[in-house]
Amino acid sequence: MQKIELRNALPKVFAGQPEIKSDVWLRPVTFERGKKYLVSAQSGGGKSSLCAYLYGYRTDYSGEILFDNQNTRNLTIREWCLIRRSKIAYLPQELRIFPELTAYENVEIKNRITKHKNRNEILAMFERLGIADKTDSLAAKMSIGQQQRMAIIRTLCQPCDFFLLDEPVSHLDMHNNAIVAAMIEEEAARTGAGIIATSVGNDLKIKAEEVLKL
Amino acid sequence: MKISIMWKLLSKHVSKTQLAGFAAANIIGLLIVLTGLQFYEDVRPVFDDEDSFMRKDYLVITKKVGNLSSIKSMFGSDNANTFSDTELEELRSQKWVRKVGEFTTSNYPIYGMISLSGQNISLRTSFFFESVPDEFIDTKVENWDFDPQHPTIPIIVSKDYLSLYNFGFAASQGMPQLSESMIGKVPIMFRLTGNDGSREYMPGKIVGFSNRLNTIIVPEAFMQWSNERYAPGIVDRPSRLIVEVSNPGSAEIQKYMDSCGYEIAGDKMNSSKAGYMLTIVTGIVIAVGLVISILSFFILILSIYLLLQKNTQKLQDLLLLGYSPEQISGLYVKMIIYINICVYIVAAILLAAVRSLYLPYLEAFALDGKSSLIAMLSGLAIIGLITLGNIVAIRRKIASLWYMEK
Repeated sequence: MQKIELRNALPKVFAGQPEIKSDVWLRPVTFERGKKYLVSAQSGGGKSSLCAYLYGYRTDYSGEILFDNQNTRNLTIREWCLIRRSKIAYLPQELRIFPELTAYENVEIKNRITKHKNRNEILAMFERLGIADKTDSLAAKMSIGQQQRMAIIRTLCQPCDFFLLDEPVSHLDMHNNAIVAAMIEEEAARTGAGIIATSVGNDLKIKAEEVLKL
Repeated sequence: MKISIMWKLLSKHVSKTQLAGFAAANIIGLLIVLTGLQFYEDVRPVFDDEDSFMRKDYLVITKKVGNLSSIKSMFGSDNANTFSDTELEELRSQKWVRKVGEFTTSNYPIYGMISLSGQNISLRTSFFFESVPDEFIDTKVENWDFDPQHPTIPIIVSKDYLSLYNFGFAASQGMPQLSESMIGKVPIMFRLTGNDGSREYMPGKIVGFSNRLNTIIVPEAFMQWSNERYAPGIVDRPSRLIVEVSNPGSAEIQKYMDSCGYEIAGDKMNSSKAGYMLTIVTGIVIAVGLVISILSFFILILSIYLLLQKNTQKLQDLLLLGYSPEQISGLYVKMIIYINICVYIVAAILLAAVRSLYLPYLEAFALDGKSSLIAMLSGLAIIGLITLGNIVAIRRKIASLWYMEK
């Protein structure tokens, strides 16, 4: 997938609002593979909605979203499954981890359908993010910051054309923010993937080519 | 590893009691269906056997003789109680009719004389003949034919006539009782009177006795020959029909006969109702079993829906990770297939047990049980359908979780 385009997209809940000052809504926007984008927003700006539309689990918007000129409304569930495994790597804001599984299992459950990383690579990422001692801990027992790092590792466990990161460092300190940014940029540089990261203030420390305000 | 993570995630909230409830209900339902089918299969030979006492699939039908038709026939109208071509066609087109045979009647006067030599007694009486196609005659006799060059008339009479003579007439009149073979040796002389008044004498003898046909039967060949010879030009419509039917107990037949004003001779309808009842009772039993099976199917569906509902969040998370609805449902599908295989096996074992309980009672009819193939295949079809229904329901339910609209 080379590009993601939005044409006059607008969440239906915003319909009829008089002044929408946004770089994204109701505008033509193109996200290109290999480029890095920061989407900053205020709470309630429709940031998570944007992610949900791009990841195909909500369709309550007007306008069009196109992947390589194909309208995403026409994609089948089968095609969306393929996209979720090999085209778009998504980190949801609410993390969506399984508390009854261990940290490693939470990563493994993604990696077993993509076969993207081996066990050593995964453990190295745990090491780098400073949660190597938590691999066998139940996710439920981990702090929110640790859970977020674990979820980032899970996001990295798949081939992709775009990283779609919804507030990836909202619970992380500067130090970890930098590590996460470096890991994602390294992976993106290696595969040529684009990055779309959102935030409500705590920006992922990547060298963004474009900053869009929602 | 592969299975264990998924199972760890998705087996939560699996209710063993609900699944056991489904399994028990389905085993009972399936067992009832299978037992019904198997029992029907085992007992059916009693009804199908050609020699069996319950086998009565020939009906002799006539039109009802009413006052009006009596008057009509007195005035020479011969249509009153005969079957027209359209009526025959209509009867043949009924789906329970296999074959229809027409009774042909002799159209000229016949006089029969028996001389019992030695006693110097001779019996004389007016006679009539009828004929039916050979395939409807239940008695096998040799030389059942007629040759005008050497005219002898072979006759089959109803067994009832012999009984009437032996136990009614002969006993009260001081006449000798006769066996079937003795009767065959008695020479009978027939006097056949043509419509032009000419008379001919012809010997004949009783060659057999029929249980099915309550009349005096001669070969069709003779009937044709004699009607042409003694009553030329008379085209006769049949007034009695013999019908081979597929299920003589069927109420449908009775209904049809009543609506057309036909009468069925004898009590064959009644005696064959037992077989018909068996079919009905079996049908009811199978229906009850099916209802229980269907209810158990819904128990399972409800249980699974409840399970999926409780696991909605997890299932949606898996979808977000890129798992397809098929992959996610795979685990539940496997679970259901395992359960249903167990249900089937247990029902089959129980069926064998039930059979071993009732088969000894069937030995009285010299039945040793038929194969269980039909019952087992039906069971497989039912359990297969239930499994298929479950799988479709699970897939649809999981696919419905795809969108998480606010």
